Amino acid sequence: MIECPSCGRKHRPGTLFCSECGVYLPTGGPLRTEPLPEEELPISRANPWASEPAQGRGETPPAPLRIEVVSTGRIIQLPSTPEIHIGRLDAAHGIFPDLDLTSDGGLESGVSRHHCKIHQRGSTYLVEDVGSANGTFLNGQRLTPYLPHVLKNGDELQLGHILLKVIIENPSDAQ
Amino acid sequence: MNAQVEDKDYYAILGVPQSATEEEIKQAYRTLARRYHPDSRTENVPTTLFHEVQAAYAVLSDPARRRAYDRRLAKMGIGEQAAIAWDIQLSQTQLSAQYESQVFYVLVEIRPAAGSKGERLPLNLCLVIDNSTSMQGARLEHVKRAAHQIIDELDDSDILGVVTFNDRAEVVIPARPLTNRIHTKAKISSIIANGGTEILRGLQAGLAEIEKHRSPQVVNHLILLTDGQTYGDEEDCLAVARLAGSQRIGISAMGIGEDWNDELLDQIANQSGGVSAYIASPGQVRTLLQQRVRGLGTVFAQGLELTLHCSEGVQVENAFRALPHLERLTVTNGTISLGALQTDAPLSLMLEVGVAQKPPGEHRLLRLELNAEISAQGNRRERIWRDIVLSFVPGEPTPQPVPAAILGTLSKITIYRMQEHAWESLERGKVKEATRQLERIATRLFDLGESQLARSAMLEAGRIARSGISTPKGRKELKYGTRSLTIAPRRKSYD
Repeated sequence: MIECPSCGRKHRPGTLFCSECGVYLPTGGPLRTEPLPEEELPISRANPWASEPAQGRGETPPAPLRIEVVSTGRIIQLPSTPEIHIGRLDAAHGIFPDLDLTSDGGLESGVSRHHCKIHQRGSTYLVEDVGSANGTFLNGQRLTPYLPHVLKNGDELQLGHILLKVIIENPSDAQ
Repeated sequence: MNAQVEDKDYYAILGVPQSATEEEIKQAYRTLARRYHPDSRTENVPTTLFHEVQAAYAVLSDPARRRAYDRRLAKMGIGEQAAIAWDIQLSQTQLSAQYESQVFYVLVEIRPAAGSKGERLPLNLCLVIDNSTSMQGARLEHVKRAAHQIIDELDDSDILGVVTFNDRAEVVIPARPLTNRIHTKAKISSIIANGGTEILRGLQAGLAEIEKHRSPQVVNHLILLTDGQTYGDEEDCLAVARLAGSQRIGISAMGIGEDWNDELLDQIANQSGGVSAYIASPGQVRTLLQQRVRGLGTVFAQGLELTLHCSEGVQVENAFRALPHLERLTVTNGTISLGALQTDAPLSLMLEVGVAQKPPGEHRLLRLELNAEISAQGNRRERIWRDIVLSFVPGEPTPQPVPAAILGTLSKITIYRMQEHAWESLERGKVKEATRQLERIATRLFDLGESQLARSAMLEAGRIARSGISTPKGRKELKYGTRSLTIAPRRKSYD
C-alpha cells in the first residue's frame, strides 16, 4: 500500500492521485522554481509602450509560430490556439504548458511552471510574462510582468537561463 | 470454433501493423514464439498465448490465407479501412507480481479515422420547452430568441417540432421539414408562460413528434429546456429516457437557473446518450443551444458501445468520460453506452482497473471491444477491439513516466470525484467532512488556475459549515464547473 504524504490515506499500488485530497502520489508535491542570482540575468528593461502594437489589427492570422530551444536545438511547432502557455509541467498541480521546458533543463535554469504566455492578436503574436520567478527577456530586455510585447520573426526570448529563438514564417516560405 | 477464429486479431497478437512485410511478420513471430514457448524457463505464461501466436503466424505467413483474412477484416469494418480510430494509453506497462491488489489506468481516445469521410445527416429535432409560470420574463424570451436562431441555422431538409409543457403538454409546431420559417418563428413567439412543471408530459409529447419521422438515416434528438423541479414523475421520466435511448433518440437536458433537479436531468441525458447542461443565466441559452444543435449536425457515428471483457481477477472499478465533457459512466453488464461520436469532438474515457495478484509473465488483462454504427456511412456497423496486455515482473517494475495525457485527465477527474464525494458526505449528514472536502477541492482548483471555481468551492464550504446544507446554486456551479474542466484550460492565476 502507498500512503498519501498529505492526508495519510492508504492507496493500492499504481494509484496516481489521492481520492481524498487530490495530491499527486508519486511525488507528493511540486518541485519549486528557485530564484536565480540577480547578477546572472540581464538588467535592462523593455519599454512596453514602445512596442505596443499599432499594426496588430490585421484580420489575417499570422504565420505559424515555431520556437527553437537554442541549447538543445529542439524546434517546437506551437499549436495555433489563441493562447500558448510556456513553462514546466507539474502534473500534481494540473499544470500542463503547451511548451514544456522540463526536458531542456527548465528546472535548473529557473523556468517557472507558469512562466510566460504568447497570445495571438490579429495578425501578430504578443508575449507576456506571467509573474515568473526569474523573468522573461525579449532580446536581452526584461519584460514587465503582465504587459504584452509584440514578437517578431528572429526575436530572442530568454526564460531564466534558457534561450529561445522565435520563428514566425510559413514552412514553405523558408525554402 | 469458426467464430472464435474470426475473433482473433492476428496482427495485434503478433504486434505488427497490417502493412507489415513478410520479413517483419517472421521476425515478430520468432521473438514471441521464443518468449511464449512452453519450454521457456524465463517466463511463466499460459500455453494458450503460444498457441495464439502460432495460429496467427500460420495465417499471416501464407500470402493466400493472409489476403483472405484481410478481406474478412475489411468486411467486418476492422483493419486499416476502419472508420473509427482509437488510441489507448496505459498508466504503466509493467506491474509488480508481488502485490495482492493494484491499480492501473487506461485512457481511450476515440475519433473518426483520418480520411474517413461522412455526410451531414439530416436532423429530426424536437425542442421541448418548459412554459411554466417560473419561465415568465427573461428566461422564456431568451429561449424563444434561441429557438429563432436555431431555425435560421437548420437546413431545409431538417425536421423540427416544438412542444411546450407546464401541467400539460402542447404541440406548438408538429414535426415537419422546415419549409416555412417565418410561420414557425411566429408560432414560437406566441408561446406564453402559465402553470406548473411536469417534465414527463413534455418528454412524451416530444418523443411522439420525433417518432413520426424517426429513422436510422437521420439524427433523432430531443432538447429539453426547463427551469423547475418535476414532482412525482421522476421514475417515469427515466423509463421514457431509457426507452428513447434504446431507439437511438438522444435527449439533451438543459437546466436554466438554480431550481431544477440536476440528478434527474443528468440521468435522463445519460440514459439516452445525450448531454446535460447548466445554464446559469438566461443570456447563455442561445450559445448553449446553438452549440448543441451544431454538434448534432456533425454526428459521425451513433450507438457507440464499449464492452469490457475482463480476465479473472481484473475489474474495471470506475469509468469516466473526459471528453466532450466529464461525466461518470455506468457499466451495465460489462458494457458502457457512449452515445454519439461527432466529427469535430473526439470522445475520451478513462478506466480505473483493479488487478488481483498474478504470477510473473505477460497477462492479457482486458479486451476492449467497441461497437458503433457509422451514421455518416449509411449506418454501417463497425466493431474494433484491442487487448490490454501487461507484463508482471517479480520485483518493483522499472519506473516509467506516466503519459501526460493520463495525468492531465486524471487530475481533473480526481477533482470531479472529490466533489461527488463531498455531496455524498453531506447527504449522510457529515457536515464537517463535506466542508473539509470542499476546501481541499478549492486548493486543487486554485492550483489549476481555476480561481473563480475555487472561490465558489470556498464560499460553498463556508455556507455548509454555517448552515449544514448546500445551496442549489453553489452545488450546480461546482458540479457543472468541474465537469467542464477537461474541455478548455482557463488559467487565470500564475505562480
